[in-house]
Amino acid sequence: MASQEQSPKGRDIPAIRRVVLNDVSQLPSDYSSTPGGTLFSTTPGGTRIVYDRSRLMQLRNSPLARSPPANMAKIPGITDFNADALSPKLKDKENGLTEEKDHLKEDGKYGHDEHPQFEMDI
Amino acid sequence: MNNKFEALTSAKTSNQETDRLKAEDSDDEEEPFRPAPKPGEGEHPLQYNYAIWFSRRSQNSKSVQYDKNLKFIASFASVEQFWNIYSYIVRPGDMSGHVDYHLFKEGIRPMWEDDANKHGGKWIIRLKKGLASRCWENLIMAMLGEQFMVGEEICGAVISIRYQDDILSLWNRSNDSTITSRIRDTLQRVLNLPPHTIMEYKEHTESIKDQTSFRNTNFVR
Repeated sequence: MASQEQSPKGRDIPAIRRVVLNDVSQLPSDYSSTPGGTLFSTTPGGTRIVYDRSRLMQLRNSPLARSPPANMAKIPGITDFNADALSPKLKDKENGLTEEKDHLKEDGKYGHDEHPQFEMDI
Repeated sequence: MNNKFEALTSAKTSNQETDRLKAEDSDDEEEPFRPAPKPGEGEHPLQYNYAIWFSRRSQNSKSVQYDKNLKFIASFASVEQFWNIYSYIVRPGDMSGHVDYHLFKEGIRPMWEDDANKHGGKWIIRLKKGLASRCWENLIMAMLGEQFMVGEEICGAVISIRYQDDILSLWNRSNDSTITSRIRDTLQRVLNLPPHTIMEYKEHTESIKDQTSFRNTNFVR
């Protein structure tokens, strides 16, 4: 190979993760994901802390992610310490949800985010 | 363009910048800057700490300085801290008027003139009404999760609620075209943009000259 000397020495991606699919329904619904997450879950050398969208969404349901923030600025109408007071209708409106979901406390926080990516018409 | 290297140097001074921010804000009684808490046990740390800011154009006078309208909301260092904050602020699509959220790396003020920003620029995507919350969420998740793979380049993201349409911006440190095109491609992917979506890039030096955020941009398809 003529270009051997020029090519920089790379490092291996530290871990190879194999994901076995048992059913076609386990395939991600969009091209931006690979089964089990996005293409890179770790960078060479492990120098970056990387999370794909589904991992972040999953962590949202952790009990650690549910406490009201302690040191947040109070801005009337913007930072809302009483999230349940916001009408769920208002929160779901923009996502075009056809029906009002259960008025559970979680509704505003978790409800509509679990819908798959949609095609946008911009 | 070698701006990149200069910009990278300024990355290393981010602690000093944080200190400077604290010092600057200490006389502002309203919302002093507070550094992110250390991630607690069991929390998932992020590659960078971030701060979220809010701004609303003042109704009385449009000439009030931009940074006077800028309000610091909170900063965070872990995925869990992010969700805690995010769940307790109004979603951008539910706001009205001339308002913005700015989510920037801690130590970078959401201003053109900041050392981290001044050699860079931003990608701009105009959104029809109704898409702001979803697109904003996807953008910031990609940013927090380090999906852009451009090293230290990303500075922050902004969602701007306006009367006609809403505008998503992603700011980066340099105007190096290799980097900006990589950012553009990742934006298309993470936002799931239709293939012919128009994207615009504007360098902050241009914004400083014409004093507008979203006019006189370079169009790219």
